[in-house]
Amino acid sequence: MVTRKLLFVSLLAVALMVTACAPAAKVVKETVIVEKQVEKVVKETVVVAGTPQVKEAAKEVVVTATAKPVDAPNSINLNASGATFPQPLYEDWAFAFSQRDPSVVINYAGGGSGQGIKDIKAGTVDFAGSDALLKDADYQEKPELQMIPTVAGAVVLAYNIKGVTATITLDAAAVVGIYSGKIENWNDPALAALNPGVKFPDLPINVVHRSDGSGTTNIFTLYLSAVSEDWKKGPGAGTAVDWPVDKLGRGQGGKGNPGVAAAIQNTNGAIGYAELAYAKSNNILYAKMINAAGKTVEASIPSTVAAIKDAKFDGRLTAVIVNSKDPEAWPIAGFTYLIVHKDYKDCKKAEKLVSFINWALSDAAATSRASKLLYAPLPNEVMPRVIEVVNKITCNGKPVVTK
Amino acid sequence: MHQRVRRSSNIFMLGLTGLTTVVGIAPLVWILFDVFVRGASAISIRFLTDTFKPTSLGGGGIWHALVGTGILMGLASLFSVPLGILTALYVARNPNTLLGLAVRFGTDVLSGLPSIVVGLFVYALVVSGHGYSALAGGVALAILMLPIIVRTTEEMLKLVPKSLREASLALGAPEWKTSLQVWLPAAMTGILTGLMLAVARVAGETSPLIFTALGSNVLSTALDKPIASLPLVLFKYAVDPSKVRNAQAWAIALIIVALVLLLNISARLIATWRSKMMY
Amino acid sequence: MALSQMPHRLNRVAASPLGRALQHGDILFKGAIALSSLSLFGLMIGVGMMLWLRSGPMRANAGLSFITATVWNPVDEQFGAAPFVIGTLTTSLLAMIIAFPLGLFIAIFLAELCPTGLRGIVGFMVELLAAIPSVVYGAWGIFVFIPSFVTPVGNALMDALGNPQRFPYLPIFQGPFFGASRLAAGLILAVMILPTIAAISRDVLLAVPRSQREAALALGSTQWETIWQVVLPYGLSGILGAVILGLGRALGETMAVTMVIGNVAQLSTSLLSPGYTMASVIANEWGESRTPLYGSALIEIGLLLFIMSLLLNIVARLLVWSVARRTPEQRA
Repeated sequence: MVTRKLLFVSLLAVALMVTACAPAAKVVKETVIVEKQVEKVVKETVVVAGTPQVKEAAKEVVVTATAKPVDAPNSINLNASGATFPQPLYEDWAFAFSQRDPSVVINYAGGGSGQGIKDIKAGTVDFAGSDALLKDADYQEKPELQMIPTVAGAVVLAYNIKGVTATITLDAAAVVGIYSGKIENWNDPALAALNPGVKFPDLPINVVHRSDGSGTTNIFTLYLSAVSEDWKKGPGAGTAVDWPVDKLGRGQGGKGNPGVAAAIQNTNGAIGYAELAYAKSNNILYAKMINAAGKTVEASIPSTVAAIKDAKFDGRLTAVIVNSKDPEAWPIAGFTYLIVHKDYKDCKKAEKLVSFINWALSDAAATSRASKLLYAPLPNEVMPRVIEVVNKITCNGKPVVTK
Repeated sequence: MHQRVRRSSNIFMLGLTGLTTVVGIAPLVWILFDVFVRGASAISIRFLTDTFKPTSLGGGGIWHALVGTGILMGLASLFSVPLGILTALYVARNPNTLLGLAVRFGTDVLSGLPSIVVGLFVYALVVSGHGYSALAGGVALAILMLPIIVRTTEEMLKLVPKSLREASLALGAPEWKTSLQVWLPAAMTGILTGLMLAVARVAGETSPLIFTALGSNVLSTALDKPIASLPLVLFKYAVDPSKVRNAQAWAIALIIVALVLLLNISARLIATWRSKMMY
Repeated sequence: MALSQMPHRLNRVAASPLGRALQHGDILFKGAIALSSLSLFGLMIGVGMMLWLRSGPMRANAGLSFITATVWNPVDEQFGAAPFVIGTLTTSLLAMIIAFPLGLFIAIFLAELCPTGLRGIVGFMVELLAAIPSVVYGAWGIFVFIPSFVTPVGNALMDALGNPQRFPYLPIFQGPFFGASRLAAGLILAVMILPTIAAISRDVLLAVPRSQREAALALGSTQWETIWQVVLPYGLSGILGAVILGLGRALGETMAVTMVIGNVAQLSTSLLSPGYTMASVIANEWGESRTPLYGSALIEIGLLLFIMSLLLNIVARLLVWSVARRTPEQRA
């Protein structure tokens, strides 16, 4: 009785071990890449129950491709976290790159520039995204970090006022007034003066900002500091600041660009700063702005390109471009960066990372995807420098790219 | 007169308790209604079998999250069940020792611990050295499941009549054999219901996973890399401006709630069936 | 297996060397279960210790004034936990004030009035409220509860009682009000802790001996008078324990609160203003706490949460246990 049971148990154990090891022997997956990607536009209606507006049509673009990003045992997995400013673009790029090269899988988890910087310094991710610049102290602590600019984007003031369906115009004074708390209500004369045709309701302004450490906040507050001495001396610029509206009870914090955009959408009377892609793709109204040259501009690729035209990149490949004097420039624009290590221990990861960044910066398909999401490419003058730095990435001392 | 006042206030207050019960259950009905109606309209086979796609490409599906949740549940059960059963065996055998009381105290404390604190603990223990991983997520969820498993297993073990254990011991079986081959199997259905309730508890846990499993947009079965999970994806999609993502969030809510309801109702049914069987 | 064969085989096993080793496997077994029990207890100690040790830098920096300091400014490395502690206490107390009477009445209904057939189902439905995950409550809060319940209620409160001229000493309902607020968090928490209070109170009431009720009824009380004047006072400590357990649960709730409270680290006298809780700030800011002091400040907040829930748990269990101890088990 005892021996029979022992035999059975040992057979079971052997069987379990065999089945556990078998998948490793299996062939991983088919890696057929469909050359021609057919884009089907499917109209799908999303019914939101219980609300007066019954049907909402959402356009769905179906890309048929058989290569799905799957993290199989011998695929190379690149993990990243960081800025939500470029997140729609990085997710798009990661997906497209995995279709081109199914052996690599890129997971960009977002979380804000602050999280990206923390994670890359702690070594828990392979690369990070950040619109906030690393400080001197960070470089001293971790000299092996390198910032690589990828694209430039526009920060817009998105708003949600019931009854206002027009695009409003704001100027620097109005934005500073709203965020410092001096302009309290949408029917303030300062706003009416800028928007003669718009009927604003008597509604307190709910000012949305970021609740996490954010490069988008950094870009926005750099702008506020550039146009207002009071703001510069007061809350100042940074990835997180003391928002005056919070003390007045009219502030609201959202996590990440999506959180801010969602808060604006869900709150009547809200205004907040977010990257253009979030406002545009979710049909949230965003304001035109009067720039430093006095011209009213709309956030778009041409105005972003005009803003970054005269960008001066320093030795660390970083540049600040808010409140450009160019007449066509969008006043609140900023570059976004990838933070990488100068040297990697895992050669396969380093190789795939370098190939990904090179593809993202130079490949026509990558640039066109960026343009579709309204991110502007780097100026031509700085591109060679950036590519040079990317190709200098080494793995255990040996350069990854051998030219 | 006084009698009338007493009688009518009696009926009034008793009626009030009934009314309160209706009011108290109303949110449940409301939530379930919303979850089912809004979730059902966004669920499709493609949604369940597709992995993440950016919204610019339609939004994709949640297969990666379903797989991820399954793996995390499996890991959490793997870590918590053996430990929980062994601990419960100790407490059931030695209820009045110092260690037994300490364990009872420990499970009470652990069950009341905010799950975010558990996440911090596992971050310090596991993630600091080895990065975000499915294993870390599994450990965090296991810590949350442990008190439930210990408590229910202990109660189920106590319900088994002592005569059964005594008979086995009288026949010469050693203690460990009695416990593992006689006592435990007799309580097995109860222990399984405890496991189901514990899984139902952690199926929707988000905060401990934020800094352990991190979340992923990619289908992954690796244990040492970040992994997706249904509640994490739900959180991300709910706090998102895109209407497509919001609809997907409701669908995920439906799946999680259906899973939790199924587990809870099954556990209840098994308990009633078992108690009917015993008498 | 035939009865006559059994002892024979076991004797043979016990006699062989393998058998004797297996018998002494008892030592292994007892050791294993003791070890696992120790590890569970050690786990609890470990969590507390890790929180204590890792919050060291912040504790050395500010000591107890951390709890009362009101400025939370990570950029300037100024960390004060007061906004979060007050926020947590406000929302939890609000939740308790709403959930306590509701839960108590539901418990009375379930324990005293509900026909036995319905008791199981209704009780089960109440417990299901507790099974719904926090993040689902949060999503429901954002899309349904705030727009259709909290906003009208908040606006009504603000219009009726929030005018600073008419009620200068009642700041708790003063505007501005935008939906995401402490009121929203408190209301959702109330729904979430209702089942805890109701279920445990029901068990406490069921544990009150029948003789008490019968005595009161024999003396001519109505059913309500029996409940209110006899049963409830008897089980009062247990019910208190239930409430405290509910409070403990409310303290630690993260996801639902984070999604509806507005995430603004400011002290405020109004329930209608946005706020921040201890659990929410850890969830939102841990990912980016890049300096050691920042990280240890967040961990110290976690330590505070740990201590608070520990204390509440102990008090609650003692209270509930005291009722159970007093009464001989007599199911009604």
